[in-house]
Amino acid sequence: MHEWSVGEGILRSVIDWAKENNINSVKRVKVAIPSFTFLEADILKEAYDTLKKGTIAENSVLEISFKDPVFKCRNCGNIFTIREVINEVEKVKDEFGEEYPLHLMSGLAPAFIKCPKCGSNDIEVSSQEIMIKGVEVNGTP
Amino acid sequence: MEPLEVLAKSKLSGKKTIAVMSAKGGVGKSLISALLSLAISSSNPTTLIDLDIHTMAVTKLFGLENKLHEVTKRGIEPFTIGNLGVISLGGVVKDKYVILSGSNNRSVMESLIAYSVINDVVVFDLPPGLGDEVLLLEHLTDFVPVVVTTPSKVSVKVVEYLVRYLTEKRKRPHLVVNMAYYDCEGGKKVRPFGDERAVNELVKKYGLEYTELPIDPLLEDYIGRIDKYDGVVKQKVIELARDLLKPRRDERS
Ligand SMILES: [Zn+2]
Repeated sequence: MHEWSVGEGILRSVIDWAKENNINSVKRVKVAIPSFTFLEADILKEAYDTLKKGTIAENSVLEISFKDPVFKCRNCGNIFTIREVINEVEKVKDEFGEEYPLHLMSGLAPAFIKCPKCGSNDIEVSSQEIMIKGVEVNGTP
Repeated sequence: MEPLEVLAKSKLSGKKTIAVMSAKGGVGKSLISALLSLAISSSNPTTLIDLDIHTMAVTKLFGLENKLHEVTKRGIEPFTIGNLGVISLGGVVKDKYVILSGSNNRSVMESLIAYSVINDVVVFDLPPGLGDEVLLLEHLTDFVPVVVTTPSKVSVKVVEYLVRYLTEKRKRPHLVVNMAYYDCEGGKKVRPFGDERAVNELVKKYGLEYTELPIDPLLEDYIGRIDKYDGVVKQKVIELARDLLKPRRDERS
């Protein structure tokens, strides 16, 4: 269900940006989502397509890609990916169910993911937020 | 473009926002946030957002520990107490300890605002001190600061830097002196935690509006069911709420 809030955030960003740049029709919106949020692309698309009606983004297509952030341990310097800590993440998902903390707030990742080498929670995440990577407007090739 | 920031800003746009702050812990900031938001909610739909994400005292005051927020298409649904909605990270992580570095702190606080269902009046319970959360709020909304202290000289001294910062930002903080006096029989006020001198100096120096709250030993009994509390502190907080809701001199229309 959280996908609806995310969809609203994306749509508002696109509309704000388009207004600032005097653009009145948007063709394509590309977003990148951290994989560990386990947001569902289908629901996010459905939310976006419902919310966009009647806005300047009405005819736009949402293109979703998932990014695998790189984690860096500030304690021991170890660099690792989600694959190395997937068991921990799965455990959190089992405990909380669908609306699990990293699904709702990607910034919580270091509180739930420990360094697989030294066990520290002092983890740095590369690009943890949901980002709009690009917007194509009518008239662009 | 960061959708999180855009959404957080839009959620607060056009709303009355009040930030309850303190320079140090243990001065009753969360308690005052709770009582203040309850008082305001009697006349306006209000949301209390607990941004003190490391202690999450708000959930303890309302007896909401280990409860999880529901998530709907509208967003994270607050716990509701009458006309008051309460949003806390506790409702997302339960009793899990949360230890986060600066940028992640900011991201989590921004998420709490962006993704929640919130009413027209928003009260924030901020962590003690001057940090990311203050910068974040300044960035998102034109909030009214309520600065909480006790009458003790140390507490007042420590709170001054916060008052100075806010004044420099043209914020006009409202000072709340918690545990200021004890009402004895015959109307005599006893001040066990310090006389009025330190507070009076600060108030004069910065031209602050301020509210003194009495000591009520019965308050302890209401931890976990703070919405049921009906004692002397509540009466004073209702007056404070009325003051804060009045249009301010510097309010932009
Ligand atoms: Zn490590």
